[in-house]
Amino acid sequence: MTVPARPPFDPELAAALTLLGDAVPTQITPEMLPAIRAQRAELQLDPGDLTLGGAYTETEHHAPGHDGAEVPLLLWRPTAPTAPAGVLYWIHGGGMIMGTHRGPELPDLLETARELGLALVSVDYRLAPEHPHPAPVEDCYAGLAWVVKNAADLGLDPGRVVVGGASAGGGLAAATALLARDRGGPALLGQLLLYPMLDDRNDTVSARQMTGVGVWDSVANATGWGALLGDAAGGPDVSPYAAPARAEDLSGLPPAFLDVGSAETFRDEVVDYASRIWKAGGSAELHVWPGGFHAFDSLAPQAAISRDAAAQRLPWLRRVIGA
Amino acid sequence: MRELLGRIAALDPEAGAAVRVIAYFDELTGTGTEPVVRGAAFLTGVPAGLTDHARGLALRVSPDGGVERGVPGPDPSWCSVRVGGAVLWLELAGEPGPVAAMVLERAAAVLRARLEPTLPMAGGRAALAEALVDPHLSEEQRARAARRYGIVPGSLARAVALHGGGIRVVAAADRLGAERAGVGPAVEALALPSSWADARRALRFTAEGTRLDPGPRVVLAEELGGLLLLADAVRPGTPPVADVVALERVARDAAPLLVALEAVASSPSLRAAAVRAGVHHSTLQESVGRAERVLGWPVREVSGRLRLQVALALRRLHRHP
Repeated sequence: MTVPARPPFDPELAAALTLLGDAVPTQITPEMLPAIRAQRAELQLDPGDLTLGGAYTETEHHAPGHDGAEVPLLLWRPTAPTAPAGVLYWIHGGGMIMGTHRGPELPDLLETARELGLALVSVDYRLAPEHPHPAPVEDCYAGLAWVVKNAADLGLDPGRVVVGGASAGGGLAAATALLARDRGGPALLGQLLLYPMLDDRNDTVSARQMTGVGVWDSVANATGWGALLGDAAGGPDVSPYAAPARAEDLSGLPPAFLDVGSAETFRDEVVDYASRIWKAGGSAELHVWPGGFHAFDSLAPQAAISRDAAAQRLPWLRRVIGA
Repeated sequence: MRELLGRIAALDPEAGAAVRVIAYFDELTGTGTEPVVRGAAFLTGVPAGLTDHARGLALRVSPDGGVERGVPGPDPSWCSVRVGGAVLWLELAGEPGPVAAMVLERAAAVLRARLEPTLPMAGGRAALAEALVDPHLSEEQRARAARRYGIVPGSLARAVALHGGGIRVVAAADRLGAERAGVGPAVEALALPSSWADARRALRFTAEGTRLDPGPRVVLAEELGGLLLLADAVRPGTPPVADVVALERVARDAAPLLVALEAVASSPSLRAAAVRAGVHHSTLQESVGRAERVLGWPVREVSGRLRLQVALALRRLHRHP
């Protein structure tokens, strides 16, 4: 079998890949899931203190879920607010099958929130395969609805809310925005979709050409979607709230920020999603980072291209949230 | 996941850190200098820097990847390594630990490949020619210089030593000008340092080609044959042999006689020599006769002619040590 043509990895990212090794396997199959979850628990990725030296106060809340389950939420508010704070509602990644709402990306998110005077919420949605669709997206939506409904009591501004997430969290954020639109739910100022997981069909050119290399290849992607949707994954009847790429109508959505690497499974579905938002008359900012593998900015944050990618998000947030 | 990578990078040296450091820097071969310095900072967890005054490089990278430019050089107490004219450092005082030492070594190796073949920007072709004939540069560096100089791979070229100190490299088929020069043999580009050594020897056999300093302005090393060996025999301070002393006496007493001798030595006949010297052949006959009396040997006989040729060559070598 010949090796397909592929965009090369950015040299610094290629160097970082040599360090990741087995800790971040390219291909994840369902049988590997228990071991990977155990390994990640052992690595203790908890970021520790998240108050930015007391500037933020952390509280835990529980939103009522759609099926009666409780959805845990962590909320960080400015300790000394001068006005109701806008909200960045964050949905963590992990392929629908792993990850935590107290993950290592939170310190940077809090710094971003502080820069804009925002509160930060991180939702602990239930994971597949134990909790298949629609549990994850409904948990995310329920948490958002609860935050907006209780905004006054929490010292938050319900009119200034952005949803965001990375990878599976980006897909869930896009789906949450679709749900908010279709259910007449919270009005959102933006959707921050970092290399989002949007399409269960898993059959784009980028999905095929990056199979077996980098991070979260099409095999891992099939594992994630299979966990969420079971045998329905890739079939004719998948809900757009599970896989936003399935949505036929992308009009009436809040402005979107999308970024993705050129050397990852999600490249083509993310570019396509942005194009379809424009086609539908919407606003989208799209960044395709050359030689970027999936989640390169968080796996190799020191690389020049990672720093550049990370630096694009704050200005966009500032524009949409009017800080 | 940023901590995940940090934890992997911080693995202790016993756990294969060396292999990972090597693999990391191998991936950076061929990239710019900044990723290499960043890698050094990231892998060791301390800021790293690089200064190279000749290239105007001065940067410092912190472990999180942030770059400062225009920084001063390292504190003398930090660990550093020289890479050509550049200095790479880690902001660690004292002896580096095993991982830091490995990082410095591998980073320096990548930088060396990057910095050394970068030929100086100033000087253009002159600087490239200098690199082409420099035996101290690696073959790879000289091959790169050859490509930039425009030498077709596999073709032959000559090194040319110009009177007054210039270096030129010309294609074997190029016509040589009238500029006073020693010309080395035609060789493959990578052998230009040896062509250059012979060109410099040949240059010492040249003359101004004037009445006061008669002789060839351009000398090809390959046409000198065994005479080339004389160049190494006559060094600054080598006492001149009696024939050279005698030639100097001719030059001092009657410069036109030297022109006549030069013509005789390099012409097939007296008649041809007269044409070469620009005088009537009876005038030349007379001049040569006078010169022979000063020199003390007959220059028109076969053995005397060889002796004259060698003496003239030795005289030029003494004049251009």
